Formats: sequence, C-alpha cells, structure tokens
Amino acid sequence: MPPSIHPVDLITALRHKHLTPAIVFLTSRRACDEAMETFDHADLVLPPARQEAIAVALERITVQHPSIAEHPLIPIVKRIGIAAHHAGHLPSWKIAIEELMRQGHLDAVFATTTLAAGVDFPARTVVITQSSIRKSRDFTDLTIGEVQQIAGRAGRRGKDHVGFAIVTPSPYIDLTVLTKGLTGQPEAIDSQFTISYPMVLNLLKAHPHEQIQGILAKSFAQFQLNQRAELLEQKLDALHVQMEPFGPRVCTDWITQWHTFDHARRHRHTRHQTHRAESPEISARLPFLTAGRVIGLSRGRGIVLRQYRSKGQKNSMLTVLRSDSAVTECPVTSVKEVYDRTYECAETPAYPWCSTDTFDRLSHHLEELPSRLPVLPILVSTGIDPLPDAIVQSLGDFPCPTCPSRPACHKDFMTASRLRQEQQRHTKSIQALRTSLWHRFQERVEVLQKFGYLTPATQLTIEGDWARLIRIDHSLLITELIRAEAFTGADPSLLAGILASLAHDDDRPGAFPRISPGLSSLLGQVRKLAESLSPYEDPPLLRADVAALVERWVADPSLTWIGLCRLTTMAEGDIYRLLARTLEFLSQVQALKSTHPGLADSASQAITLIRRGVLEELP
Amino acid sequence: MNTDELEQLLVQQPVTLLHRLARGRVHRHFRAGKKRLIELLLQHSSQNRAGLESDLQALIGEQHARSESGSSHIHLPPTIARKKAAPRRAESESAETAVSLSEWLEGIGVPSPQPFVPDPWQTEALSAVRETDVVISVPTGSGKTYVAVEAARRAMEDNRTVIYTSPLKALSNTKYTEFSRIFGPDAVGILTGDRQENGQAPLLIMTTEILRNLLYDAASGEIDVRLDTLGLVILDESQYLADPERGVVWEETIIFCPSQARLLLLSASIGNPQDIADWLTSIRSTVCRLVRHGKRTVPLRAGYLHPNGKLTPLFKTLGIPYGHSSQLHPEAKQLFFEYEEETLPAGRPRR
Ligand SMILES: Nc1ncnc2c1ncn2[C@@H]1O[C@H](COP(=O)(O)OP(=O)(O)O)[C@@H](O)[C@H]1O
Repeated sequence: MPPSIHPVDLITALRHKHLTPAIVFLTSRRACDEAMETFDHADLVLPPARQEAIAVALERITVQHPSIAEHPLIPIVKRIGIAAHHAGHLPSWKIAIEELMRQGHLDAVFATTTLAAGVDFPARTVVITQSSIRKSRDFTDLTIGEVQQIAGRAGRRGKDHVGFAIVTPSPYIDLTVLTKGLTGQPEAIDSQFTISYPMVLNLLKAHPHEQIQGILAKSFAQFQLNQRAELLEQKLDALHVQMEPFGPRVCTDWITQWHTFDHARRHRHTRHQTHRAESPEISARLPFLTAGRVIGLSRGRGIVLRQYRSKGQKNSMLTVLRSDSAVTECPVTSVKEVYDRTYECAETPAYPWCSTDTFDRLSHHLEELPSRLPVLPILVSTGIDPLPDAIVQSLGDFPCPTCPSRPACHKDFMTASRLRQEQQRHTKSIQALRTSLWHRFQERVEVLQKFGYLTPATQLTIEGDWARLIRIDHSLLITELIRAEAFTGADPSLLAGILASLAHDDDRPGAFPRISPGLSSLLGQVRKLAESLSPYEDPPLLRADVAALVERWVADPSLTWIGLCRLTTMAEGDIYRLLARTLEFLSQVQALKSTHPGLADSASQAITLIRRGVLEELP
Repeated sequence: MNTDELEQLLVQQPVTLLHRLARGRVHRHFRAGKKRLIELLLQHSSQNRAGLESDLQALIGEQHARSESGSSHIHLPPTIARKKAAPRRAESESAETAVSLSEWLEGIGVPSPQPFVPDPWQTEALSAVRETDVVISVPTGSGKTYVAVEAARRAMEDNRTVIYTSPLKALSNTKYTEFSRIFGPDAVGILTGDRQENGQAPLLIMTTEILRNLLYDAASGEIDVRLDTLGLVILDESQYLADPERGVVWEETIIFCPSQARLLLLSASIGNPQDIADWLTSIRSTVCRLVRHGKRTVPLRAGYLHPNGKLTPLFKTLGIPYGHSSQLHPEAKQLFFEYEEETLPAGRPRR
C-alpha cells in the first residue's frame, strides 16, 4: 500500500463523488508543488469552456497585479483547474488563486496549513493529511482549535448544503489527534503577555512610574493570574479553618519551637556538621529570623523584613524595620535576642520587601510592643563533635519537656506543620502571581537604566525618548547600533541589508549571493554587539545571505524581480516577506526624523528603492 | 517495572504501538526504526517514567480492544481471535447503526438562493455594539464579516471613525478590496508601516501592530486628532491573543483603546470566551457583551479516504459526534488500522 493516496487519484475520487471544490492541506510547500507536478502527465483536462473562464478571470486579476501575468503556473492551472497555494508564492499569486476559488473556477487547491490561519478561503471539502504542523523547527500536534479552523473551511454558506472534512492517512498522521480535534471543545486561550523594552519606554513616556503597576494589572495576563490567585486564596481560607485548632499555645510559635526541639532530640547522636560558614549560634537562629519576627538589637528592637546573604561576604544579613519606620540592614551576628513573637508579613520582591499595608501595620506594632517580651530559646548545635552532655544540657534549655502542652504539641505537630507548610507555599504563590508582572517590568527597567535609556528616577533620557519609537523585535540591538553610530554614513542599501538580517527570523536555507566588503564588516560589528547584548535580548539570526540579497535589491535599481530571485534559492514568497519585513523595520527607523535626520533620510530612501516591481503592487 | 522489564515489554510491542507511544515524546519518531525507537523511548523515560509506563499500558489495552473488535484477522494469533465472540456482536450492532456511505454523501449540492436574513446572533451583536463592547466567538464561516460591515456602516453614519485590524497584511489587503467594494473606494483607507492609502477615510484598515503603535503615540501626547472621533475598533481574528509572539499586541491594543470607542472582538470558536468578556468588563467602561454559539451554519460531515481510493464516513454518525471522539465508523477504523499495521513498521520512504 502506498503511504498516502496519489494526488491524481485523490482529485479523481473527489470529483467523482461531487466533493469539489476542495482544499487539500499538505504538510509542506514541497508536498504541494510535488502534488501539482503529478498532474503533468495526467489526462485530467478541463473542458475548453472552463479553461477559457479561468483565462478570463486571471486576466482581470492581472490588471491589478501585473506580476502574475507571466506566472509559470498559469498554464497548468488553466488546463486542470487545480492550483497550489502556499507561503512560497507571491502574495499577488495567492490573491489570484483565492479569487479564482471564490469565483468557483477551481476544483482543488493544494495548500499548507498556514492558509487555514489567515485567509478567507472556503470550499465544499477540506482534505486533511496530517495531524501535526511545523512550528519553529519542531513538529507539534494540531490543537483542537487548529483542527476546527482547518475543518471550518469546509462548507460555504449559501453555496453548500453540507461541508466535508476528509481525513486521508499519510505517515504524518495520528488519527486520534484529528478525531479529538473534530469532536472536541477548542482550547481556552492563555495570555502570552510579555514585557518588551519598547513597551516599558512607551509606558513610562506616558505615565508616571507609580501608575504602571495599575496599567499592567489591566492586562489579560493579570486577569488570568488573578483567577489562579483566587483559587489559591480559597484553598488558603480552607487551610486557615483547618489550622484553627493549632493556634498559639504556651509559645506563640509552637510549631517552629517543636520542630527545633524535635530535631534536636532526634539528632542527639547523629548530629551533622553544619555546612554554613557561620558559627553554630548563628546557623541555629536563621530558621527563626523570617519576615515578621521581632528581634532585639543592640539599640532597641526591630521586626525582620527579610533574610538574605550579602553578595560579597556571603554573610547572613537581615533587613530590619526599626522605630520611626526606619529600614536598616544588619548582619545576623548583631541580633541580641530573638523574641517569641511574629507578625504576619506580606512579603514583596523589592524594597521595602513587604506591602505598604504590612509596612504601616508593622511600624505600628513596633511602637506598641510591651517592654517585656518572651525570648525564644534556640538550640545551638555545637558542630563537629557533639557531646551528649551538651545536648542534654541544651535540651534542658527547651521549655518543651516540662511544658503542659507538650502532649498536645507532640500529637499535633505533624498535621500542623504540614498545614503550615501548605499555607506558606500558597501564600508565596499568591504573592508571586500578584506581583510577577510588576517584577518583570522592574527587571526591564533596570536594564534600560543600565543602558541609559531611563534615569534612576525612571524617566526617559534623551536616548530613551527616541528609542521608544523602535517598536519591533530586537529593539535594544537596533537602538544600541544607532547609538554606536554603526549606521552613520551608511548608504540606504547597507542600512536595508543590516535591517533585513535583523528582521528575517526564518531559518529556511537560501543560497549565498556575493556580499560586499562594506556590508560584511558592518555585519561583523552587528554580530559582536548582538552577542554582547545576549543577556538582555535574544540575538537575531543575522543571516548574511538575506542581508546581501536586500542590499543588492536596494543598491541596483536595474535589478528585476526575476533577476533578484535568481540570486538565491529562497522561494519568491520568502523573498517578498523578507523585503516586506525589512520595510517594516525601515519605517520605524524613518520615524526618528527629528533626532537622527541623516539616518531617517537614509531609511526613507531605502524604502523608496525597495518599493518597486512586485513590491509596488500591494500597500 | 525496572528498566529491563520496560525494555522487554517495549520489544514485545508492534512498531505501530511504539510510534504511538513516541508521539510527543520523541522528536521525528517516524524516522526511527524499532531498535532506535526503543532506545529513544528508554532515554526519554528518565524524564517521566510513570507517564510512559501508564501510556504504554493504556496503548497495550487499546491494542487488545482494537484487535478484538473484529477488524484484522490476518495479524492475530488464534487465541485472541477465538476470544472475540462477545465483542464482535457488539461491533456488528454498532455497524448496523453506523451511517452508510450513500447516506453520508446525500444532500451534496447548492442551496437555492435565499433572501439575506441576518442570524439572531448577528442582530444581537449589532444592537449590543451600539452601547457596549462585544466579543463574538463563533465557528469559522458563520458570518462575522457581516457584523463587522454593518457595525462599521452604522458608526460611519454617526460620523465616527472606524478602525478594523487583522493579524496579517494579506488579510488586510483582502479586506481593503472587499470593504472598498462595499463602501466605495473613498470611504476606506489602509495603513501600513511605511504607507498610507486614503489615510483620511472614515474606515481604516491596518494590522493590529500598527494600531498599537498609533495608540502609544497618542498616549505620549503625539495625538492623531482622528483618535478623538474614533467610534469603533474591530479586532478580527482575536484568537491571536493566544499567539506566543504576537498575542501581547492584542492585549496592549485593548488596554489602550480609547474608552469612548466601542471594541468589537471577532474570534473563531475558543474555549474561554467568557473570560475574555469578563476581562474587558473589568478594564473598560462598559459591561462587555459576549455573543457566542458553537453550531456550524453549514453542517459538517467527516470522512476517511483510504490510500487505495476507498471512501467511508469517519464516524458512525452522519454529522460530527461532538464530545465523542471514539465513535469511529467501523469501516474507517478497520482501514486505518490496516494502514498503520502496514506502513509504519516497514519504514518505507516518506513523501
Ligand atoms: N445571515 C446570513 N445568511 C446567509 N448567509 C450569510 C449570513 N451571514 C453571513 N453569510 C455568508 O456566510 C459566508 C461566510 O461569512 P464570513 O463572514 O466570511 O464568515 P466568518 O468571518 O465568520 O468566518 C459569507 O459568504 C457570507 O455572505
């Protein structure tokens, strides 16, 4: 058995059952072209009247799109009433095929699934030969939504009583993907919100920094994050109820206390050396020095806001809220007392490390603290060779063994500790869900500050003020190139060539036209810069062949479209898209008229030069 | 199961099953032979051993069920073949209820011309969009363009500017031609990054990126006066919101869309249109109306065409059995089973 049906047999079967016009979705452009070739010697010729009708229709379309006049596929399309339609073709050719199909002149079109995504192109029947599509180098299964987009092309309103989606197997098919796709509910949409450098600049241009969080909160991303956070909050509420029996006992924080005590008991004989650089006294304290804990310092008390490690010395450090709402940093070694008192603290990832509410509340608590506070006894592990005596002694320091609530603590510890861990986990997740966008925004801000597009007070610098107009991929690289004066004195063709290599993100290979020394050295410079920026922005492909191709098109106005296509193995449609993308990038550079008149002028010259021939036909 | 046992079990399976197991696990698995496939699967199993094992068990179970359902007599050992009596009866029952090819092919043809009557959902959307933002989520081919055109017409009659965005330049061009035909060439303009055609027209077509840029310019004070008269923004193919690279542009556009303009989001069927509507309600000045339906206007039937040219219905039912993906037509099921048995193990040259 052949791995898939022969295209001629396929069309014959469809015609025979009156299932035409049909769109046949194939896996690749190649497959479409090869399917067309199989008709070269088939005697599936249209009656003369229909051939004539196609010719007339095509002529009418040619008036608007002269580039299709000599299209090599015209004879076969006319002869058999079947065409291919894929991204390798020029837009004008695709428009022509779509129009022929709309007018009912064609029996079938071989197309790739990209067609399903964006063209208004219905038929009586669609034929599906695959269950996965190539998405950025990898094959992934079609989603339910995609299967339905494809199948949705079948059955034209007003022209068909019924539409047909016909599956025919090929080695690329997984039938369950398709049957699920046909019968299932389309997937829910998930936000894909990302924060780009130009977004940050444009937001800060129009709004003060303190309003931004509110604007980000309007995104669908935040809407969906909030939905998740609300679910967790419900869980958290349930946990609070479950935690009720385990509230404060003789010590407020009995769970931590018992944990330490229990740990000490268990490890009486198998004490391990601590791996921390700190003394055992300090290490033992660390678990208690979490946000919200009241501590005693040499001058007065404070409440811990966060614990961290100093970058250089790797010492354990604390950020502490002191009286009069002062926030100070101090090493853990300077902590004199750890009190058995903690307050709830809604932590945040940035200074002052807690929410404004928490900050106010904690400041208030700090002023109101009683003069005597219970001190938390902390077991100090003695390190290398534990002496049983010492342990016994330190166990003696715990109030637990003689405490009246000991049996209760013993009984409840496992449950309570698990619940508390869950609580802490949920609280942290909620925190992250609520603040992650803001956090990402801040990260971008820091980079833009580092590069001098934003002032420390998050205002746009002179550079930032023009850089915000570059709103395309690789914006940081482009603005850095402009600042490095890489384009100064570069003529329009060089500029266009470089922007083409930035704009083109397709890795389909193309043959290599000769590259000019000027472009080659400039491209080298761009590569170096792109590499140095890679921690902040993914580097573009920077293909030299596409740069050279576009440079030639701009530099040599006598070069025809056919001539350009001969310089490379890229498909016409890809060359067109390359030039169209380059135009997009150039138009952004052109917007810098007031700050970079020379560059903007070069960009607009390049635009005029690119827009000729086929590129004139469409807006 | 330890690794040796797993390998043993894998070796015992037909290659078709291994390929099925490899889907989503092994890149380009269809290029690998059995030995290599097992190697790759074992390699992969380090990532999620439990998942692999349970999928394997499920597939083996399925394979048995499948072979018992009476399709292939050649490949099966006699022991299994003999056990078939009971399931076979069930199968023949369902074969009775399964639609026949001639029924399936019945009714092909062109309906007689009908006077145009808007569907209820179209009318509903049109009256809603006068007052509020509207999200439409309906199957492809339902007639979203009619809503866009009529909504645009009404806004233009009120001397409002209308912006229509599409995700692709190609689509913008098609719509430009189509709308120029409907409203006359003077009424319609198109904007691209470097070009404006008829930029002063009341109905402007552009890609969503271009609109986003306009809105950023407006926000930073470089106001295009025309945004003041903006009455309606139509975002076609709004399911692009889920596009990994470009989805963010739809969010930016919606966030910054002027509050006096109504938003009309046109989308193919998606799973959570209510979320989109709720989101709009939460950030915009009006309560967003959701217009949705899942029923296709032109009924759809699914078929299976075997490489030898034999055509059968794909499902037992005439239409698509929504929510029941396993109701395969017995004939399609058998043919596809044969196809998989014959093509995959041989590692034939691929197209
Ligand atoms: N109410 C209606 N009655 C009959 N035909 C309609 C109606 N609404 C739309 N159509 C036709 O349905 C076809 C598909 O409409 P279209 O707007 O392209 O679908 P969508 O954009 O939803 O995929 C068009 O040919 C259109 O003329």
